[in-house]
Amino acid sequence: MIHDLTLHLTVNGAAHDVRVPASATLLDVLRDSLVLTGTKLVCDRGECGACTVLVDGEPAYACLTLAAQCETREVRTIEGLGGDDGRLSALQSAFVAHDALQCGFCTPGQIVAAYALLERNATPSEDEIKRWMSGNLCRCGTYPKIVRAIQAAAGATRGSRGA
Amino acid sequence: MARKTSKSVDPKPKRFVATVVEIEGREETRIVELPAWNPEPWTDDVALTIVGARHPRADGAEKAAGRARYTADVRRPGMLHAAILRARIAAGHVAELHVADALSIAGVRDVIWSVPNAEHGGFPLFDHAVHYAGQPIAAVCADTPELAHAGLRAIRVRYEATAHAVTPRDALAQDAPLVRGGNGNRMEGSPRIVERGDVDRGLAAADVIVRGEYCTPVALHTALEPHGAVAEWDGDRLIVWESTQGIFAVRGDLARVFELPLSHVRVIMQYMGGGFGAKNDAGPHTYAAAEFARRLGKPVRCVNDREGEQLDSGNRPATVQRVTLGAMRDGTLTAIVVDADIPLGIGGWEGGPAQIYQEMYRCDNVRTSETFVYINASAMSSFRAPGHVEGAFGLERSMDELALSLGIDPIDLRLKNYADRDQKKDRPYSAKHLRECYAQGAARFGWGERTRTPNTERRSPRRRGFGLASQVWGGGGGPPAYASVRINPDGSAEVLTGTQDLGTGARTVFAQIAAEALGHELSAVRVVLGDTERTPATGNSWGSITTASVGPAVRMAAEDARNQLLLGAAELMKVDASALEARAGVVRVRRGKRSLSFRDIMGALRGAMIIGTGSRGPNPDGVAISTFGVQLAEVEVDMETGIVRVLRITAAHDAGRIINPELAESQLHGGIIQGLGYALFEERVLDRSLGIPMNPNMHDYKVPTMIDVPDIDAFFVGGGDSTANHTGAKGMAEPPIIPTAPAIANAVADAIGAPVSELPLTPWRVLAAIADGRTNIEKTKP
Repeated sequence: MIHDLTLHLTVNGAAHDVRVPASATLLDVLRDSLVLTGTKLVCDRGECGACTVLVDGEPAYACLTLAAQCETREVRTIEGLGGDDGRLSALQSAFVAHDALQCGFCTPGQIVAAYALLERNATPSEDEIKRWMSGNLCRCGTYPKIVRAIQAAAGATRGSRGA
Repeated sequence: MARKTSKSVDPKPKRFVATVVEIEGREETRIVELPAWNPEPWTDDVALTIVGARHPRADGAEKAAGRARYTADVRRPGMLHAAILRARIAAGHVAELHVADALSIAGVRDVIWSVPNAEHGGFPLFDHAVHYAGQPIAAVCADTPELAHAGLRAIRVRYEATAHAVTPRDALAQDAPLVRGGNGNRMEGSPRIVERGDVDRGLAAADVIVRGEYCTPVALHTALEPHGAVAEWDGDRLIVWESTQGIFAVRGDLARVFELPLSHVRVIMQYMGGGFGAKNDAGPHTYAAAEFARRLGKPVRCVNDREGEQLDSGNRPATVQRVTLGAMRDGTLTAIVVDADIPLGIGGWEGGPAQIYQEMYRCDNVRTSETFVYINASAMSSFRAPGHVEGAFGLERSMDELALSLGIDPIDLRLKNYADRDQKKDRPYSAKHLRECYAQGAARFGWGERTRTPNTERRSPRRRGFGLASQVWGGGGGPPAYASVRINPDGSAEVLTGTQDLGTGARTVFAQIAAEALGHELSAVRVVLGDTERTPATGNSWGSITTASVGPAVRMAAEDARNQLLLGAAELMKVDASALEARAGVVRVRRGKRSLSFRDIMGALRGAMIIGTGSRGPNPDGVAISTFGVQLAEVEVDMETGIVRVLRITAAHDAGRIINPELAESQLHGGIIQGLGYALFEERVLDRSLGIPMNPNMHDYKVPTMIDVPDIDAFFVGGGDSTANHTGAKGMAEPPIIPTAPAIANAVADAIGAPVSELPLTPWRVLAAIADGRTNIEKTKP
């Protein structure tokens, strides 16, 4: 029998107490307990990247992360990556401007993964982008435009830092 | 421009006529409405400002922010969760089913093993005769998804297995088990033979004959959002959120199964994580959700898990194609013959490879034969250009073998046999720009200069190769499709139409068409779709028909609304409506200075609401409406490992007027990348002795990743096809997947100097092809 736990989680800067089975994944808690449904369930076994979130700034597959592992850690999801006043961030805007999304189901995971890349490497090469992003599957075939969107967002960030 | 004003004020009565409509390559005659009037065609000399421009996706911000609510994201108060138990054997029956242990789990609410009236794959849903591995056997409903799965694990099933057949050879053997009962495993009407001319005479007249056998795999749609539904009853009304390409089709399915009037079923689909042909009907998940919701009086969600999705949500069926081409020394085709076996699974429709053989090239002597075979496997379904993707591989590989044996350039051979008319339908094309596709594609790819790249570098095991393939597909659309356009008291406008946006961009392109036709700002137009209760009906989003079917209805509705607005403005401005024009949300007196904004006009009309209506008229008689394209590929093959890398693809497509080049280009990328997966990786592995799929997950069923994608130069050729419909647009979502795999395969054959005849081109198949050399394609001179 799996016991329930009360977990204290910090997600997108907000504190939450949730009571869930000890076996609950971070993805279960985000989607079902906190109704943060931007993070998607696709393969449920770490094969597709659609559930990518940040745990203490590190990209993680929420489907392979136990919620109980995330107490005392900072979780960020797509809902926490927007700009001010509910506006899109520069990265999100670049995805829209370059049509780097079609059905949009993989998009939150793609954007979180791309955010983590740009945090580490503000000026990634095309090859670095492709390698970093190759764990995030897209069935609609938006890959060429995702590369462009990330390059554009990187350029915009550089521009704003230089200014 | 108020040229149609009088007609909208005094409409002629509607009439109904019989017309031929084409969906997914199938033609049927239907009685359709003849609209009371038709907008003037948007010919290439009409200046359009919003249509044809690159506008961002209307729902891009919601998707990028994670705010878009897909079916799997719908949450209803008190919602329960259902999961489906699937058969672990390929054939036999369920001898015992013990559900007490499942029901004893706290939080498990209910178990069902039948839904009256519901069918799946042509059998009763949850049939206890087992026809294939993965077949739904029962379903569990519980408080959480985890508890529902715990319930599944607690159900004890004793199966009694019987002999199965999962290959066409096994299914057609003398003593084969009967997959669907009846007389045998051939589908009724098989073989389906279509012949024109006399292929025996054509082959006798040939200088060269090439023969080959080509095999294609079962491909799985692998949409990232699985099939799913949330069902909720409100008294005797049923509301269902469904991930579907056809809200009205699902409404019809549910009304039939639950014996409700259509008016009592509402189906909603606002955002959808891909369909690709697999989501055209209600399915086991839909019926399970609605049945549990009825029994338990609570909203119920049932979404396939990934394994269920890969096991039993449709597929592109495998084919074996035995191809014979005959030609004169100058390349003129004298005969095209294909004899194909298509194992459908336990059900499906006749989506075979024959049509592209009948239509792609000019040839008077053509015979196609398709034998559709039932096997103990999940039923096939439409999958992006069903049949043509498979057929293009056999046909275009054979054309390259012919070109090689004749010493003719592959493009020249295709131009030599260019089809000026549709010989299958015996009609001219409404428009065809394939010649320009070859010319511009070859120029941008550098086809003429390709031999300058060294084909064999000494000491390197890697060799480059080049190949191309062509494509034809329908995409002309047709009725029925309806739309209405409302102009609100503040001047903002809403387009209401019962279509779906699968991620294709329907929301965006219909807003563009409506804004153009209204003379309004694009930002002032919102498209409402995906809800059977709020929108006039439209068909499924399949067969690349949506833009060409719904677009004309939207345009007509918008022009109707604009004309009514101009009448209101004429009254306010004391001028004749014919002296007014609307542009960018403002009505102006032509050659005058006076103007009123839409907002001013609607404000002055004090609560009046303008409602324009539009419908899709029939297609013109006497023409074939088709789309065309060519793709060219450069590959690098490692002769020691057999690994293929696609370096670049050039794609030139003719699909009539392009409403939004940015989104249309995205569709080309998508088709090419799915086609690349089909060429190199994708293959359902079904164990012959166990009869069970071995790779129902995303690790072992490999779809392309970002690393696999080559440089893509994809573009459109030719202008609007204003003969096809008054918007000039045709479909273009399916065409780009058709030529990709054969272009890559032809390039691989070029690189290794040996034919390849089986997809996907995994390393071991490439190594086998290298080892076999040129022995498995037979060429004879009679």
